[in-house]
Amino acid sequence: VKIYIHMAAIRPRSSSFSRSTSAASNAVPGLKHGPNGTMFLSSGIPDLDKILGGGFTLGSLVMVMEDPEAPHHMLLLRNFMSQGLVHHQPLIYASPAKDPRGFLGTLPSVMVSKDDKSRAHESEKEKGLRIAWQYKKYFGEQNSDSQRDGKSEYCCDFDLRKPLERHFFTGKHIDCITLKDSADLTTFHDRCSSFLSQTPRTDGNVIGGRIAIQSLCSPQCEFSDKEWDMLSFVRSLKSLVRLSNSVAIITFPPSLVSPAFSKRLQHLADTLVSVKAIPDEDKELAKLLTGYQDMVGLLSMHKVARINTQVPAILEATTFSMKLHKRRSLTLECLNQAPVHGSSGTSYGTSGSCSSSSKTGTLDF
Amino acid sequence: MAEWICRTLRDGGLEGEHAPALIIKDTIRCPLSSFVFDHVLSQLSSFILSNKSQSKGIVLVALSRSPLYYQQFLKSKGYDVVDSPCWIKALDCYSDPLGWKSKLVESGSILNRDPGSSFTSSLCKNVRDLDNLFSSIIEIGKELAGDGKGRFVVAIDSVSEMLRHTTVSSVAALLSNLRSHDQVCCLFWLLHSDLHETRATAALEYMSSMQASVEPMALPANGQIGNSMNLSLMEQNYRRGKFCVRVKRRNGRVRMMFEELCVEISGVKFAPVSSEDNVISQSLVPKVQFNLQLSEKELNDRAKVVLPFEHQDNGKTTQIYDGRKSLNEDETEIHEKVNSSGKGEIIYFRDSDDEMPDSDEDPDDDLDI
Repeated sequence: VKIYIHMAAIRPRSSSFSRSTSAASNAVPGLKHGPNGTMFLSSGIPDLDKILGGGFTLGSLVMVMEDPEAPHHMLLLRNFMSQGLVHHQPLIYASPAKDPRGFLGTLPSVMVSKDDKSRAHESEKEKGLRIAWQYKKYFGEQNSDSQRDGKSEYCCDFDLRKPLERHFFTGKHIDCITLKDSADLTTFHDRCSSFLSQTPRTDGNVIGGRIAIQSLCSPQCEFSDKEWDMLSFVRSLKSLVRLSNSVAIITFPPSLVSPAFSKRLQHLADTLVSVKAIPDEDKELAKLLTGYQDMVGLLSMHKVARINTQVPAILEATTFSMKLHKRRSLTLECLNQAPVHGSSGTSYGTSGSCSSSSKTGTLDF
Repeated sequence: MAEWICRTLRDGGLEGEHAPALIIKDTIRCPLSSFVFDHVLSQLSSFILSNKSQSKGIVLVALSRSPLYYQQFLKSKGYDVVDSPCWIKALDCYSDPLGWKSKLVESGSILNRDPGSSFTSSLCKNVRDLDNLFSSIIEIGKELAGDGKGRFVVAIDSVSEMLRHTTVSSVAALLSNLRSHDQVCCLFWLLHSDLHETRATAALEYMSSMQASVEPMALPANGQIGNSMNLSLMEQNYRRGKFCVRVKRRNGRVRMMFEELCVEISGVKFAPVSSEDNVISQSLVPKVQFNLQLSEKELNDRAKVVLPFEHQDNGKTTQIYDGRKSLNEDETEIHEKVNSSGKGEIIYFRDSDDEMPDSDEDPDDDLDI
């Protein structure tokens, strides 16, 4: 079956019941309207925003399950924080390192578009009908064109090789906290609480706020064996975030906490993502996956935040490969793999995931 | 692989990075990790003494074996630790870890007969205070390496002993502090993983950048220890083992390497894996639920399927299966009608097996977008 599509008429839809708000009414560059009266802020990774249906919902709690053998959660955090700084959104960053401010030096800067001519979509608007067999491939390219002009982009492409300019760090709206010598989480909880009260959920001046907590259950922290304390902290943070216009992202290594506790943490998340390392120089995997050479890891979506609605988000695919395009920008791609003999495999189970790899399409009416 | 690890430790970390940290683990089934520890220690000593390394000295935290043992071991390898200039110092946490002996000496109950040696730089009387231990290590290291840019290696034998006295989080904090200290070139420690809870072992693995584990080559069948064959297998496990290394690389990938380990009188020998026992890498990729390949049997069965309207060339009247269960009854009439009409015919050719669906040519290739 071949499908004939008139290229000029393509407009990607996020859902059938979205509000018809045009982009012009959105005065704040860092935020975007989402379905059901929610607002999004960008994760800093264009592919991730697309997978999530727009970005991270304001008022949601994002949790990232780390793989102790790989630093991929740092990539996600870096892009998240950089995006916030570029949009001048207030930020709190907490980590178990002695000097968390040093991490700001590793944040990527916005990709300069002239480096990217090879990826630019040539806009030859032909009037005739053309045959497009794999029509979905062409959706994204139209989108990226319109966003390439102007500095006030919702989601920037970040160049991981260039550090963020220093002038973004000066400002009272950035707070770096170390969790290292804290005996418990009460002081940190109070800091978060006062931070979140700056971005309340009222009409008027909406600015997104960002909280980034790295490696919450890291063993160097004294409170790491007090599981119930950590759990109640996360629960309290979640309720505070829900009442504000901010997004909190917490990364934690699930293998370092007891399974029951890890499950509870996963249930608390509104958006749940896990990252996984891949073995190096693995010939089997190289045969199985295309583009194995460029891959640095795998990312799985377990849950996507759905606020103000009872309709769950059903994703087309849940596992993505993380690739560094020219070692500069992070891209997420659906896995292109050779079919495996189905009878021998059980569906892939990560901790806490109920995902199988069956391709359920989005419900489109 | 063992050489590769030693070289990685020798090279240290890049500017701004944490120092590489090696964890050597074993279990009671193949308790050869102390030999591996000794091997790494002697390799690093040789690098330092031949000036191939940027680190100037080794600080050895001796908890489970006496510094005397190390003195003799290094002497047997040809490194004199007592008389020649200082490149290694031991922090003695073995003789009196909790300070009991010194309390007895103070109260006059026993005489202190320990002459001490220049190898043993200081005696640690309280292994519970890890902050103090950290500062002692750094102090000794600075003595060896000089202030400024000089770096030193830290070796801890064994962290299992430390965990007897303190919590996992304080040990993890110590290791993290050591790794992030500018003057520490690299760090390696020993752990007997079956002595601790899995969470403790997982936490210590989290703090490391390379994991080397010693595993038994052959496992006794069915756990029946009395069996003589199993006994000899177990004996073998005390001399030979499998050496598995997992390295966390900078790009986020994990490298796994395997070697065979053999303990001989002269020390430990590493050899590449002899058997074809390749690791089946766990499938990280979700298995797709459909199968595009047909097995032999399936191919044969497919060839045998009777398709409707197909002329079967066997002289008999064609059997047309029209979905009804009773195949054999009352069909001859219908067939005669079809054959006799002569006007309309259904000519059907089966798809050839050679034609692959969705062949390689992409129909979109001729598009000019």
